[in-house]
Amino acid sequence: MSEKEIQLKVFPIFAVGGFMLIMIGFIVGAFVVGPTANSYFGENTKQTRDSAVEGSSLVDDLVTISSIPRWLEPLIFLGVASFMFGIGLEFSTIPALLHRRGKTMKAAFPKITGGSK
Amino acid sequence: MTAKVEPDPKPSFPFSMVESMMPMYPLIALMGWMLVVISFVIGFTTLSSAVTEWFSEVKADREASTALNDAQTTIHVIETWLPNLKFLGLGLGLLAINMALGTIAKKLRHMGKVISYHIEESQRQKMPEIPNRVRLFQGSAMMGIMILMATLIIGLVLAFGTVTDYYESDTQAGHNLDTDTSDLGTIAAIPHWLGPLRMMGMAFLFAGITIALTVIIGTLKYQEDMLKNL
Repeated sequence: MSEKEIQLKVFPIFAVGGFMLIMIGFIVGAFVVGPTANSYFGENTKQTRDSAVEGSSLVDDLVTISSIPRWLEPLIFLGVASFMFGIGLEFSTIPALLHRRGKTMKAAFPKITGGSK
Repeated sequence: MTAKVEPDPKPSFPFSMVESMMPMYPLIALMGWMLVVISFVIGFTTLSSAVTEWFSEVKADREASTALNDAQTTIHVIETWLPNLKFLGLGLGLLAINMALGTIAKKLRHMGKVISYHIEESQRQKMPEIPNRVRLFQGSAMMGIMILMATLIIGLVLAFGTVTDYYESDTQAGHNLDTDTSDLGTIAAIPHWLGPLRMMGMAFLFAGITIALTVIIGTLKYQEDMLKNL
């Protein structure tokens, strides 16, 4: 298997992986962090939030809202980077393809033109 | 010598619209760039000056000052919709790349037809149908840009609706005593789902580029095989 063929075999892993990572980011953001933030800020007054004691559900919610976005955003950008890497791999196969095509065209040219230059 | 090649049949809507827009990719790229420039200008001028005004006062004063309400409202309103405009600009850039790749694939197909026209009829191979992946990448790109447009609209509606109403209605100190905090809940949740939704739009655009490249690579390989078999 040539190096170029390996790139063509590997790029879908990065493309699909990138899409999955971004989708995971969206699902966690929209269905975990978003509703938690909504309930934490929307259902409790500032006084209640500020007086929450250690181990309470309010403190747990605050931890969720504060900690998850710290890794969720890099995860989403890892997805973007994976896509870009996949696209880069695809692009890297094109010069060799064009080079081969040039050679093939050169060989086929007399047949196309019927021998006349 | 000009070869007479049969044009491909016109695709159905909405792909016909996408194909007619494809040659406009430089203009789309320029539009995207301009949106990002506008985002920068708004950030550099209005947003930056509002933040400067807000943080120039000590905490107790700024939170109690009605005079600073406008600055606080401006900050929150702009921060709600501006990132969506910026990402729409980036998305238009990616859409332009999608369309440029689509144009390249189309030109390659046309070239293949021209070469095929000059090949002796006995040796000529039938042109393959347009692969379904073409419609897939066009659909993916359109889906991506529509998601980004939707996030901008949602951002604008939230910014000039809930966010404006909330921050204009009272000072920060007053809001700290609110018993009904449902609007704050809505506002606090926005970045957690709207941001990842924007990235989903970007993902569809990247997927479009990935698929468009497979079309180009596939076309080049097919044409190479066709020439080899002469």
